[in-house]
Formats: sequence, structure tokens, C-alpha cells
Amino acid sequence: MISNCYYIGKGLVFTLQLMFGGIAIGVILGTLLSILRYGRVLGMLANGWVSLIRGTPLILQLSIVYFMAPSIIGVRLDMLSAGVISFGLNSSAYVAEILRSGVESLPKGQFEAARTLGIPDFYMWKDIILPQVIRNIWPAMVNEIIALLKETTLISIIGGMDIMRRSQIIAAEQFEYFMPLCIAGAYYYCLVLFIEFIGRKVERRMSHDKNS
Amino acid sequence: MIKIHNACKRYSGVNVLDNVSIQVKKSGILGLAGPSGSGKSTLLRCLQKLETLDDGSLECNGKTGFMFQDFQLFPHMTALENIVYAPNLSDRSAKRRRNNEKRAREMLKNLGIESKMYEYPESLSGGQKQRVALARSLMVNPDILLCDEPTSGLDVATTMDVVSLLKSVGETGVAMIIASHDLDFLTKISDRIILLREGKIVVDIKTEEHKNPVIYLKKYYVDD
Ligand SMILES: Nc1ncnc2c1ncn2[C@@H]1O[C@H](COP(=O)(O)OP(=O)(O)O)[C@@H](O)[C@H]1O
Ligand SMILES: [Mg+2]
Repeated sequence: MISNCYYIGKGLVFTLQLMFGGIAIGVILGTLLSILRYGRVLGMLANGWVSLIRGTPLILQLSIVYFMAPSIIGVRLDMLSAGVISFGLNSSAYVAEILRSGVESLPKGQFEAARTLGIPDFYMWKDIILPQVIRNIWPAMVNEIIALLKETTLISIIGGMDIMRRSQIIAAEQFEYFMPLCIAGAYYYCLVLFIEFIGRKVERRMSHDKNS
Repeated sequence: MIKIHNACKRYSGVNVLDNVSIQVKKSGILGLAGPSGSGKSTLLRCLQKLETLDDGSLECNGKTGFMFQDFQLFPHMTALENIVYAPNLSDRSAKRRRNNEKRAREMLKNLGIESKMYEYPESLSGGQKQRVALARSLMVNPDILLCDEPTSGLDVATTMDVVSLLKSVGETGVAMIIASHDLDFLTKISDRIILLREGKIVVDIKTEEHKNPVIYLKKYYVDD
């Protein structure tokens, strides 16, 4: 039991790398996408990208990145890179959507007030719009992070040794499914609880900012 | 100061402003009266360049300040931050920023909300938000202040405060155009009142030349 916990737990680092790597790329690329969406030609491309990503299964995207990378870019990606890239690309579409609804939900008057005060666009976005948007979309972002964490389990289809895959290996070796799967479940659940905890703390901080 | 000539604005084929011509030569308070939907806000928004005219011309010499009907304070900034943020963007030196802050504090003091300086908008009452909004629009030193429905949602006592407040701003030489459907309020505050109906000017009077402008203007509110 203890040794099973330990063996499965060794996948924790890999799972976390996938999650943090994926969300980092997702946020950066997603922000870029939502800026591009304001352009005309680039906006169409960005919209097409978001639609394509949301319209196809993640497992297919992961397979394309991992199995087809050698023929497309000529190098074989290791599992971590393939995972981080595909989870990141996938997440970017969802982050872009979250950001868009966050910006659209702000009253038009906030933009107009900034304009009437002669605030230049850059500062308007940096100091007026984005701080409000981030506060509004924070819960949705926490959801996205949790969803991404659970989706990292797909890495097992290309053989990645994450928590999930390790529990399956033990199950196959010991002909005992219940225990290893419960252990994996406990790991994921604890991670989710931890993310929720941090998320709420940050949320309180942000609303505390406006109350203190 | 302001020259509006045959201004027209249409929304989906409906004339919201219909050949509106107004000239304002000197500072003073101009009231824009008219029932809801008559185009008052649209006219103010055109003056502030938040909307463009479909026809006609509009000339506005001088910097404008704008007070929104719903204030549009920045919710993540304190009252003081709301007021000094824009001027501080152009004044980069610490000394000038200190000056801005000093001016803002004085303004809040004069408006009687000095104690609310570090409060966020959500914990301010309607009247207090309005004062912050007024201070914010005055900090950029406008020549002309455009106010959209400054008394909507305020009780009678606070409305009276707004009257004296805006009057004192007017006395500092800032020209004002105030849109409101409240004739009593407009009559108390304006030197001149223009009444809009369905985007057209139907009355343009000097308040002092009428014994009872409210009764005179009220006639134009009811349908023939
Ligand atoms: N952005 C808009 N799109 C469509 N119609 C609008 C828009 N803004 C105002 N209108 C219409 O224009 C008319 C005049 O509006 P407004 O200027 O706000 O009137 P007031 O301020 O006198 O109540 C109204 O019928 C309103 O529905
Ligand atoms: Mg209006």
C-alpha cells in the first residue's frame, strides 16, 4: 500500500509539469489570441483557431502533436513537451473565450469614461479594463485550471507516466484495480482542493483590495 | 464656444437628432430638457465625440468634461485614485503628482466627502458617487462640463445640494450643458433652457425672461 502510494505519487511531478506548462502557454497564447481577435484578417484567423480547437477532441490534438511532429517539424518531441504543447494550445482557445466574455461583460461606459478623461488606450487596458476583467474572470480561470489538470490524464495514451498511468500499471501488475485507482483519485482530488483553496484566497485578496 | 449646425443622428433609420442647431457664445449653464428618449443624451455624447453625427456640423472650442448618468467610476480604485488617475498619467513628476493629490483632497473637502477619500465606489451612496464623478471630471480642467441627468436617483435634499454644487462650478467660469428631464431642477440651475422633443428643438428660452419657466415648458411635455 505505502509502496503503491509512493510509486503512483512519483507521477505527481509529471502531472504538475503538464498542468503548469499547459496553463502557462494557454494564458499567454489565449491573451494573444484575444488581442488578435480585434484585428480584421488576424481576427478571422484567431476565431478560426478557437473554433477548430474547441471543435475537435483533445485526444486527437495530442496525437497530432506527438505522432505527427516528426513528419511536420522533423523532430520527435518527448512526452512532456508534446503534452505541454497540446494542453497549452487547447487551453489557449478556452482562455481566449473566457477573456472575451470578461471584456464583453464590462459596461461600455468604463471604456467611454476612460476616453472622456483622455486616458490613452494602453493605460486604459492596463489600469482600467484588465484589472476589472481579471477579477471578473478569476473563478472561470480556476475552473479552467482544474479542467486542465484532469485532462492531463490523457497523456497516458502516448505512454506518459503520470499519476493515472502509474495507477493503471500497478492495477495490471497486481490484478487489483480498486486500491490503485482510489490512490490516484485521492491525489487528483487533493490537487483540485488545493487549487480551489488558492483560488479562493486570491479571489478574497482581490475583493479585499476593493474593500480595505 | 459651441456651434452646432443642423446636427442629425439616426439609429436604425429613426432620427434621434433632427436638424438641431445650437450656438453657445459665452459660459453659463445651458439646460437640455425633454422627455425620456428625446435625444438629450445623444446630443451630449455627440459633443463629447463619443458618437459621430450622421449629418450637420459640430464645433466645440475648449476641452470638455463629461459626467455620466451612472457615473462610471472605476470600481477597483478608491475615490481619491479615481480622481487623480488621469491627471497623474500626464504629470509624471513626483512634485506635480503631489500637487494633483493636494488639489483632489481639497476638492473632496469642498464637496464634503473628505472622509470618503479612501473608500471604494461600491461603499458610496449615489450622492457621494456623484461628487466623486464631478471631482474627477473637473480635475482635467474642462472649459465645458457636460452632465447627463445629474439628479437621477437622488433624493430631494441631495438634488438641492447638486444645484448649489453645479452652480458654484459654473461660477468658476466653467460652461455647462446639463441634460435632465426634471424641469424644476433645470429651471433652478440654468441660464438658458432648450427643450428637445423627438430630436427637434421645440423651445429655446432664457430662464430669467420667464416668470414661471416650469409651467411654460411643461406644456411641451404633453402631447397635443
Ligand atoms: N446606441 C443606440 N442604439 C440605438 N438606439 C439608440 C442608441 N442610443 C440611443 N438610442 C435611441 O435614441 C433615442 C434617444 O435616446 P437618448 O438620447 O438617450 O434620449 P434621452 O437622453 O433624451 O432620454 C431613444 O429612442 C433611444 O432608444
Ligand atoms: Mg438620457
